[in-house]
This record gives sequence, structure tokens and C-alpha cells, in this order.
Amino acid sequence: MTRPCDVKPREGDLPAALYKDWQIGAKFPELRFTVTPDIVDEYLSVVDGDPANYMVDGRRAAPPNVLAVYMMAVMYRKYPPQQGGIMIGNTFNFYHPLWADEDTVVIGSGQLTDKYEKKNRKYICYSVDFARADGTRLCSVRHTSAFAE
Amino acid sequence: MLQKTIPQTQEKFDNYGTLNGDNDILHYDDVYAKQRGFRGTLGHGLMYTGYVADLAAKKYGADWHYRGELTVKFVAPVCPGDELEVSIQEDGTAECKSQFGTTLVGSARLTP
Repeated sequence: MTRPCDVKPREGDLPAALYKDWQIGAKFPELRFTVTPDIVDEYLSVVDGDPANYMVDGRRAAPPNVLAVYMMAVMYRKYPPQQGGIMIGNTFNFYHPLWADEDTVVIGSGQLTDKYEKKNRKYICYSVDFARADGTRLCSVRHTSAFAE
Repeated sequence: MLQKTIPQTQEKFDNYGTLNGDNDILHYDDVYAKQRGFRGTLGHGLMYTGYVADLAAKKYGADWHYRGELTVKFVAPVCPGDELEVSIQEDGTAECKSQFGTTLVGSARLTP
């Protein structure tokens, strides 16, 4: 089992990446982790999820967005977190079920896709892809956040 | 339309943060959050994404896992004490709103 906190640096533990540090096109080192039934159940509990909504051909699947709890950990592999960040938006695409009744080894990868300043706020955009260890694509995310510095 | 109301509490923020590993003090430090100009600590944007996604999974069933596309934009903060109403319209338009106004807009659809 890989809890996100096991692979995610805590805000304030490392010198934070600042706006000047983010480089468009920079790739994030791959992050390998294991999603377990325990993680799926805990995720359902914190997003008020109903397991009945995730049956696929008679088999229980995880909410595909369970991978969201690992998203920032992928980015933080390259750029340590800054306190006070505000999430602006996300687009998730799902490609294949992540099953709730087994351990799944997942590999996260991604890159910084854009950064810009607007109305005295600094924005970064990045993408993250999640695939099973056998290459099956599970989910992709396009993300935007704003930071103070 | 699918809809549910989820009262927001600091405990919910803490529980999501425990799983997510998010230590950003905007989610936990009421004094700091108010110094930043907010009404209080902020809920996790990805938690609200999860609320919307749960309704989307109910709406689209198995197809959601193969062709689901969820876009969310956070337009206003959610703080403890907010009564958050989460909804998805028939056309996939998604929204979260509290007694203070709309907090999230977006869409949940199936790709071709």
C-alpha cells in the first residue's frame, strides 16, 4: 500500500519551488505507487462516495478519480511544494477501470505545460498521466494552480 | 438532475488531508486563512472534484471508467459551516454551490 503522504513531500519540509523555478516542458520523474483496497475505501469515505456507483460488469471498481490524491505528488517529484497554493481547475480523463478488489501498481508521470502571470497572480499548468505497470492507461489530468510567489 | 448536499466541516478537510498528504496550512490554519482574506480554512479542491465525480459515476455507469471526462473550475472557496449542494444536470453541467454562492463550475461527459 502506498499512502499519498508516503510519497508526497509535506509543504514546508523542503525549500519550495518558486515561480522562477518552474520550466515549461520540464518532465516530472516517474512515481510508482500501489493503490490498495484500503486506499479505495478511505477515498470513498472522504469524498462521500457510494460504492454502488462503481460497479463495472459485476465487479467493484475504484472511483477512477482516486488517483487524484497522488496527482500533486507526481509534480512535487520535480518541484517541492509551496505553502498557500490555490487550485484553480482540473480536467480528468478516464480510460480503464482501476479495480477496488486488488492491489494495483500505478506509474505516474507528467510535465509542466505552461506558466503565466495574470492580475498579480502566478499560475502554473501541468499534466499528469497514470498507467498500470503493464502499460494500461488509467487516467490523465490537466491541472492549473495559482501561487503567491 | 442528480444532486446531494454535503455539510462542510473542518473534520472533513482534515480527513481528506490525512489521505491526500496535503499539509498546506490554508486547509488547517484558520488564522492564516483569514489573514489571506478568506472566511476561514479552505476545503480541498480535489475533495469537491470527488463529490462531483461520484454523481458522474452514478449518471454514466461503467462507461464513466472508459470514456469519462470531468472538468472542474474552482470559482469560490468553501469553508467549514458551508452547506454545499453538488449537482449534475442532464447535459452534464456540474456545479457546487453553498449559501454564499457558486463555488465550482464544470462538466462531466463521455468522450466519443
